[in-house]
Amino acid sequence: MNRKQRKLVALAAALAISLGIIPAANAMHIMEGYLPPVYCVVWGVVCLPFLAAGFFSIKKTLTSNRKSLTILAMAGAFIFVISSLKIPSVTGSCSHMTGTGLGAILFGPASVSILGLIVLLFQAILLAHGGLTTIGANCFSMAVAGPFVSFGIYKLCQKLKVNRLAAIFLAASIGDLFTYCVTAFQMALAHPSETGGVAASAVKFLAVFAPTQIPLAILEGILTVLIIIGLENYAKKELKSIGFLKEV
Amino acid sequence: MLLIDRLCYNSKLRFVNAGVKLAYAVTTLALCIISHSIVVACFVLAVNGILTLYKGGIPLRHYLHLMTIPLVFLLLSTLAILINISKTPLDAFAIPIGSWYITSSFQGLYQGIQLTLTALAAVSCLYFLSLNTTMTDILNELRKLKCPSLIVELMLLIYRFIFVLLEIASSITTSQNSRLGNRSFKTSCQSFGGLGSALFIRAMKKSSILYDAMEARCYNGTIHVLTENHPAKRSQIIKLILFELLLAALTIWRLL
Repeated sequence: MNRKQRKLVALAAALAISLGIIPAANAMHIMEGYLPPVYCVVWGVVCLPFLAAGFFSIKKTLTSNRKSLTILAMAGAFIFVISSLKIPSVTGSCSHMTGTGLGAILFGPASVSILGLIVLLFQAILLAHGGLTTIGANCFSMAVAGPFVSFGIYKLCQKLKVNRLAAIFLAASIGDLFTYCVTAFQMALAHPSETGGVAASAVKFLAVFAPTQIPLAILEGILTVLIIIGLENYAKKELKSIGFLKEV
Repeated sequence: MLLIDRLCYNSKLRFVNAGVKLAYAVTTLALCIISHSIVVACFVLAVNGILTLYKGGIPLRHYLHLMTIPLVFLLLSTLAILINISKTPLDAFAIPIGSWYITSSFQGLYQGIQLTLTALAAVSCLYFLSLNTTMTDILNELRKLKCPSLIVELMLLIYRFIFVLLEIASSITTSQNSRLGNRSFKTSCQSFGGLGSALFIRAMKKSSILYDAMEARCYNGTIHVLTENHPAKRSQIIKLILFELLLAALTIWRLL
């Protein structure tokens, strides 16, 4: 090996090591204890109207059709399991998808807010993703903001007669990106920068998490599409039963 | 299958009254975050370490592994808080890039350390709860705290279904691996899509079977379960109150 080759090998090794240091790129749950108490409470209160709406919507569905309790519970478990499975990644690091975009498309955003809260609680207790005090903030970004955006984009694309699979891809990945932006903003509000205040801090958080979150959002879009393709092939009956397929 | 769940069923503190454990974890967590001080955080970390490892009998290897789960988030976001990019250098260090500086102040460094320790201490509180209390006990406590029964029932069912689905997912993954389904990035994407849709179909089928089974057993809108009762010992309650008072005093001292 001459000097140039050696340099190349060293560079490649450095790149590989720096990628290897990132062992787990989870969906961005704000960690336990990372927010000051005021923000924990405020975000919790912000979530309340959405949770109440979700609660009453579930209650209404249950009185009309009692069987939907087990379907809702399965939906919650499905979101949890999808978000706890390792997804394929290019770098070899282990990462997870949020699954809430898929949930919102399949089950509607209102019931996902309650399911999302429960899933977040389980994720905190069983997987140590997120936490009890930060559950309000996480709930807002993952169970309210992300799913509502996903669902909105999906419906908008349907109105505009965009290709169905493209619509699902856009809904899932933009919902994921939106979750990531909201989380960065939440952290920036709680920890403003010394030199530039909240705005500078938001830019820093966005920049730091971008390398893990942007590929993850694209991947989440692709995987959601693949799952829906599988469902449309094999599960027409089930999709109709939850009201996802009407026109087909 | 889930490490935390398996460990908590083997914990030596499993049969201690769940209310006491919940009260301890939540109050300590709250005080830890309110105080936001290095002293309180170190104290809480030590106490939770002793409680979980020595009293609870959780293996040190697993505990250390679990503590590293939030580490990436912690490192990245603390980095974002520490480092500033500005035109004026701050006092701790400043690396010039063109006319800008990558810089940080001693105040910022101190806050970074404070935040990291507080977050770690808070995580140790969460682990104390999840490594020593089973989910069914937590759900019972939620029911006693007047959480709406609809939510508690949903949680109970979801908790049960999680393991059903995880088992299905794990056997599907095994069979996909044995057919070289995760050989390259492209095939593993396809496999994941297949896994997701197969899982959904199974979930829907299982849910309808389960509903039939519940109907057959006179389900009329509420699920009735028998609960094991482990009354709290007076000594535990006294110790809990004393500890929290001590921690509160420490918090007030640090805040003043």
